Amino acid sequence: MNLRAMRLVFTNLLLIFAAVLSACATQPNNLEPGAAAEEEFNDPLEDTNRAIFDFNQVVDRNVLVPVAKAYRTVLPDSVRDSLRDFLRNLRAPLIFANDALQGEFERAGQTFARFTLNSTIGLAGFVDVAGRWGELPYHEDDLGLTFAVWGVPEGPYLVVPILGPSTPRDLSGQVAEGFGDPFNRLVTGNPYTLYWIPFVRGGVAGIDQRSRYIETLADIERTSLDYYATIRSLYRQRRAALIRHEKEQNLPPPASFSLNDTPALPTSPARQAAMVVEVPTVSGVSR
Amino acid sequence: MIRRVVLTAFVLIVGALAPALLAAAADPAAVINNLGNRALEVLGKNATPAQRVARFHQLFREDFDVPGIARFVLGRYWKTATPEQQEEFTKLFEDYIALVYSSQLSAYSGETLRVTGSRADPEGAIVASEIIRPTGSPPVKVDWHLADQNGIYKIRDVAVDGISMAVTQRSEFASVIQRNGGQVQGLIAMLREKTANTTPR
Repeated sequence: MNLRAMRLVFTNLLLIFAAVLSACATQPNNLEPGAAAEEEFNDPLEDTNRAIFDFNQVVDRNVLVPVAKAYRTVLPDSVRDSLRDFLRNLRAPLIFANDALQGEFERAGQTFARFTLNSTIGLAGFVDVAGRWGELPYHEDDLGLTFAVWGVPEGPYLVVPILGPSTPRDLSGQVAEGFGDPFNRLVTGNPYTLYWIPFVRGGVAGIDQRSRYIETLADIERTSLDYYATIRSLYRQRRAALIRHEKEQNLPPPASFSLNDTPALPTSPARQAAMVVEVPTVSGVSR
Repeated sequence: MIRRVVLTAFVLIVGALAPALLAAAADPAAVINNLGNRALEVLGKNATPAQRVARFHQLFREDFDVPGIARFVLGRYWKTATPEQQEEFTKLFEDYIALVYSSQLSAYSGETLRVTGSRADPEGAIVASEIIRPTGSPPVKVDWHLADQNGIYKIRDVAVDGISMAVTQRSEFASVIQRNGGQVQGLIAMLREKTANTTPR
């Protein structure tokens, strides 16, 4: 990567971490009724977030969903699955790095074996031989999850234009991964400088993911009373589940389903750190 | 004669109670195995939307702890609601859940549920299961939280891929109430409107 891009990443990361820190610093500690309510959602930028969410919905309805529908109609299931497997294989080095950074060496080994098998016998990743015949199933991993495992707090909920639901922790992970990805670096570095390739890659990955949730999300939107709030909760819980997975294979802790009226949503910073994540959603141009 | 009447009555009573007694004796994994596969069967693509809603209502009432769930999803606002509001909310909530999940389940066709494990929990039990899809895509992990109510297991929460349906619902309802000035009545009005005007799919 060239120096300019490096500096850009660095500046971005600094800004994001500054945002995280200030968000943590300003988190209310007094539990007045109102304050408790705000903290429950941890969404101090809600008005802005809702505006961006509405914008994303317009893009989703008019661009992403029609394209995703066409994609699903034109390509047979097997071709779409192949394409997804290929894109997942491209992510394998990053998944491997994150597995290792979290100290999950068994998972890292699995990812390494998957990458080796799929890149060769699996024809550059278009056939997931490792998952289908080698009992080495794909698993997600990303830098946002690694930050969480390291104890970086989640920070306030964010809705990013086009990219959708996020948090400072996840967004900074995503940005860093975009620049640090070996394939992106290969195609944008000397002698190729093919800057459009990472964008095409991200776009196809987003469309593919969106195409798998067309009806599910349409139903949720149609039946929910507050779609924004539902997506916010789904996103956080999904990320929390991915983080938890590192420690527990099965049976996550019960959602403290006691009949007392205190909200079971974690509010302590420590538990909050464990609450975050990726949801394949609205304008799902993610990973 | 009298002896025969008494005997008949006894047989009838035992006969009527037996299923309940058996259910009480059953382990939570069996409860979920039975319920899950029954639900997938009656709620899938082959049913009409109206049938699906009616069947879901029935399952929800029989196998779920509806009053407990209604209380949970209203969270701290349960206490601020009047008894009339609590009653109306519980009724509307049941209609709403039937609408939401009968729509979500309409895409199911040929799926089966397999119980993968269970463990005791202070409130009852948690049963882990997988929904296996005929398409060959990876199974969906579903965890069932059961409350032991005098020996009978009732479902309190369902977590799909680690996402709790009860927590999601509570978060949404809390947001609606807060945006209506903290008034439970605002949520009730929206639920009434939604359940009346949304056609199930």
